[in-house]
Amino acid sequence: MSGQGQVSFRNIVKMHGEFAALKGVNFEIKPGEFFALLGPSGSGKSTTLRILAGLDAPTAGRVLIDDKDVTSTDARDRDIAMVFQSYALYPHMTVAENIAFPLEMAKLPKAQIAPAVKDAARKVKIDHLLDRRPGQLSGGQQQRCALARAIVRKARLFLLDEPLSNLDAKLRLETRAELKKLQRSLGVTAVYVTHDQEEAMTLADRMAVFMSGEIQQVGTPAEVFARPNSVDIAGFIGNPPMNLVPARYVNGDVIIAGHRLKTATTMAGERDVVVGLRPGALRMVEGGLGARVDLIEDLGDTAVLDLDCAGTMIRMRVADGNIPGEGDTISITARPQDIHLFDPTTRMRL
Amino acid sequence: MTSSAVTSAGIASDAPRSDFGRVLEQRERRFAAALLAPAFLALLATTTFPLIFLVYTSTFRMDLAMPFTNGFVGFENYQVLLSDERFWSSLLVSLVYTGSTVAFQVVIGLALALLVMDMKRGQGWFRIIAILPVVLSPAVVGMIWRTFMLAPEFGIIDYLAINAGLGSKNWLGDPTLAMVSVIAIHTWQWTPFAFMVLLASLASLPEDIYEAARLDRASAWQRFRRITLPLLRPAIVMVIIMRTMVALTAFAAIFTVTGGGPGTATEILNLYAYRKSFTELSIGYGSALAVALLIVTIIISGILFAMRRAK
Repeated sequence: MSGQGQVSFRNIVKMHGEFAALKGVNFEIKPGEFFALLGPSGSGKSTTLRILAGLDAPTAGRVLIDDKDVTSTDARDRDIAMVFQSYALYPHMTVAENIAFPLEMAKLPKAQIAPAVKDAARKVKIDHLLDRRPGQLSGGQQQRCALARAIVRKARLFLLDEPLSNLDAKLRLETRAELKKLQRSLGVTAVYVTHDQEEAMTLADRMAVFMSGEIQQVGTPAEVFARPNSVDIAGFIGNPPMNLVPARYVNGDVIIAGHRLKTATTMAGERDVVVGLRPGALRMVEGGLGARVDLIEDLGDTAVLDLDCAGTMIRMRVADGNIPGEGDTISITARPQDIHLFDPTTRMRL
Repeated sequence: MTSSAVTSAGIASDAPRSDFGRVLEQRERRFAAALLAPAFLALLATTTFPLIFLVYTSTFRMDLAMPFTNGFVGFENYQVLLSDERFWSSLLVSLVYTGSTVAFQVVIGLALALLVMDMKRGQGWFRIIAILPVVLSPAVVGMIWRTFMLAPEFGIIDYLAINAGLGSKNWLGDPTLAMVSVIAIHTWQWTPFAFMVLLASLASLPEDIYEAARLDRASAWQRFRRITLPLLRPAIVMVIIMRTMVALTAFAAIFTVTGGGPGTATEILNLYAYRKSFTELSIGYGSALAVALLIVTIIISGILFAMRRAK
């Protein structure tokens, strides 16, 4: 490996005419880390990855890799390998030729290329397909071929642009686990772009959550899940995502649909807030917030209930065996530490 | 009408599925043949028949200047042809003309396509302007070049040559320069065709594989050699085949510019056959020359199509 793969983005701005795709993005990636760029489509995560790869130039700001300014360095000189969402395999080359291509470009002797190609193909389990062309491969096999081409060179940075989005659900889960193992065994820094919060949560050591051209939060998946920074992140992370309910805050309590809930906040005074409640953090109790069960989505081991609390929709996750019937009236509550408060105007965490 | 009849017959006879399918297929084939027949007959009458008549004519001595010598001669015309120096020289001129014009068209067309591909603005205008020579009649192109471009002293090319210090040249009078001129004229007129075809296939190549190649550390030249060229290969071979066939049978531009001259310097096989038939009025021998050109064209296109299939 020619470097450790430490990345730092300093105030990166990217304009497309009048439109700001990135509005000053800052983050650091540590060597060996699996770092996810998570966000809805159009939030700037792919643009960020392309700027890191050197495929696009930022309008302003600096990109540092291993403490060296590479902002104006061409993609070919950055020592970065990338797996494209479309896989971008060379259609006229066989799998073996595709994997060998980066090594040939690096002018490696032929005697070294063949074993390296075999080795990379074996790591992603396509060593029996080396003579095929991309057109003769299934989507999953193409994806593995693209992976092999990226890992064969042992670049210092390994970029993945939604690599699993074109696979079917079952294959996606399998590949996800393999990807993580592969990254661990190679010890390489990986930057992973995804709009799927579950992928980011399961794969990443740390992640940056993008919302409309800005990073709203950087942290471990657990941190982001436990303490989302803004209403937007709260509504994006988790499946189903957090309930966000406008409410009134009065001296440590919030009032939802006329019912008082104790919070962990000690702030004095009275104000409007947005209350965040994870569906899984809600519990049924006597004398809680009254709610009617509108709809039950049974997922087998758990169920998601759509509740109507005096006109406010709240979703709640309950374990199997504890499911009320549709149309029943139940009473729910949440522990003070499970109640998240956000400012309704700035949309940030209070 | 037919489909319902077939269906009921199929059910009534309780025939196995494969039989039913075969009946259907047969009917469809007959119907298709009926639809094709008029076009097929028209082609037969307008291309195959004249061709056979040409071959038939080539076995006769048919001299309009000396009709009393006319008669069946078998392969005599071909024996004469094989020892006819003017035939061999015109064949050579044809091959040089075809080889060089096709090579120039592909190389210049590809270079232009690669350049225009990177143009951010004005691509549409460039395409419209580039297509103009193609829509002109080759005879008109020949006249334009003979008068506006190559005329000594007044032609644009000659004017440029004088100003470049090369002096006035006899562009169409000097044997070598005349050949260069007719090659340049054909290349000028038909390069836009290669350019358009190659530009279209270039535009259809996916952008992401170029990005992948950049990340794989391929230089611009390596990207061209290893990715663009192999992916364009089918289009390039197609352009070569189409342009070769046209160049082998080119006529109007050379006819209007040099008429094959000076002497026989630009006399391609096609032109020789024309001169023989309609200037010297030796129809039989002219037909033999035309058949020879046909054979040459078939051999060359056979080789090109084999090239296309290979790999």
